[in-house]
Amino acid sequence: MHTSSTLKKEFLKKWIKGLQICCSSNKKMDLMERKKKIKLSADIAMASAKNPATSWSNALISEAKKNKQDTILVNSLLGTESDLKPQKNTDRIISVHKRVQYKKILKRSCNAGKRMNKKKNLVATILAKRLVKKRTKVLKRLVPGGESMNEFSLIKEAMDYMLSLKVQVDVMRSVVTAAEVLSEDKLMKLVE
Amino acid sequence: MFTTHSRLDAVKPDPGMDTYWAGLDGGAFGDQLGYGYMNPNPDQRLLVQGNSSLVSVSVSPKKRKAADIKGQSLQVVSDKEKKIKGCSEGESRTTNQNSNNKEASTNTSSKEKSKISEVQKPDYIHVRAHRGQATDSHSLAERVRREKISERMKYLQDLVPGCNKITGKAGMLDEIINYVQSLQKQVEFLSMKLATVNPGLDFNVDNVFAKEIFQSSTSDFPALGCSSVNSVYYQLNSMDQVVSYCGLDMGINSAETGLRRSISAPISGPETFMDSSCFNQVQPTTNWDADLQNLYKMEFEQETLIPFQSHQFTGSNEGSNMKPES
Repeated sequence: MHTSSTLKKEFLKKWIKGLQICCSSNKKMDLMERKKKIKLSADIAMASAKNPATSWSNALISEAKKNKQDTILVNSLLGTESDLKPQKNTDRIISVHKRVQYKKILKRSCNAGKRMNKKKNLVATILAKRLVKKRTKVLKRLVPGGESMNEFSLIKEAMDYMLSLKVQVDVMRSVVTAAEVLSEDKLMKLVE
Repeated sequence: MFTTHSRLDAVKPDPGMDTYWAGLDGGAFGDQLGYGYMNPNPDQRLLVQGNSSLVSVSVSPKKRKAADIKGQSLQVVSDKEKKIKGCSEGESRTTNQNSNNKEASTNTSSKEKSKISEVQKPDYIHVRAHRGQATDSHSLAERVRREKISERMKYLQDLVPGCNKITGKAGMLDEIINYVQSLQKQVEFLSMKLATVNPGLDFNVDNVFAKEIFQSSTSDFPALGCSSVNSVYYQLNSMDQVVSYCGLDMGINSAETGLRRSISAPISGPETFMDSSCFNQVQPTTNWDADLQNLYKMEFEQETLIPFQSHQFTGSNEGSNMKPES
């Protein structure tokens, strides 16, 4: 059972490592690029700090790997674990899931008429179900790798993701405040 | 954190009973028949404490389908997937019961399972249909699925701040979406801020150490207001001063005595510092409930989060989620 502070430290460790890698390259980066790099390294650090068993972390990592610009950073962060397999699995799962979804849509359109009799408050239930479906779709988009999950595991993954996002925010916040303080000090010294 | 349970007693059809029911575990149903089912954790470690027998009344042989599900002992499953009878559903690793229940319900073979008690199928769960409810296999599976989802929604309610009053799936999902979106935006904003603050991105050794200590200090001394830590930190700008800062606080937490030793030791690089023993000593509490309290306290500083009560979580719902990290 891991406490969140252990996770924080793991994340911080990896993130700083990634940031050092970033700044070791001598390119001059403008603001947006820098921000992207920072965020990317933070995300990957987060994903790798957690056990790769959680699927959203795998999805994050595989997505990052697809982007060719950042592969260097990603690979160096992850070390020598080149996980090609989870990527294949997710692709397969996505295609399977889509097939299942298409079949469900077909079935539903066939059976639409049959079930109307059983339910009372027809309109209300239909509306409620539609709302829920809309929102699950949105949630699927939000959580990385959420497309290929059924509703049930989606919720679990969302919980997991939420927790780690919280951790990420906390750590980043403290790092930012520390950096701010330091830079202020430097400025003060320069002025004096 | 696994708990096993004893096998349920032998099940024999009792022809005297009229009502036909299959057992559903989920704390939501009242124990009409006096069964003691515990709430399953979101990780679906169902702890079934039943020593009374589940009776499968089959008026007709067709209803034996549900009898397949009942009366089978449930062993608490680990996180690994188990595949039964070539059921190749790639369900999530934690929820065997979902797939297994569906598999059981679609198992329309007319195998006589009156001798269920002898067969230890580890992954069936018991579904109880109350009087007047539909009892075909699909609706049973549906109901189980719904129950599990609502169970997880409850846990989510505890996670997301400010969700205690909202019931219903749609509202809860809405809150979850908003919360995740806000967290993601915060990450973006913070990374942008960091990019502006530190144009050189020079994470030299000194900087790193200071941050480490700041990080560890905020997590370990939650009683200190964030602002006070900030102000203290502001005055210190070198390693020595930071060491002394930490030293001042030694009295607060005796577990931190190792911290001073490790800091004053010659430091050769950030890696060694991070591997130092201070981190191991930092978090003495293994009770994740107390650790959540730390989290909560830290979040009081954050203006974006509404302070939320710390509930008593049952079992290891979060721990089970984080468990694979070990």
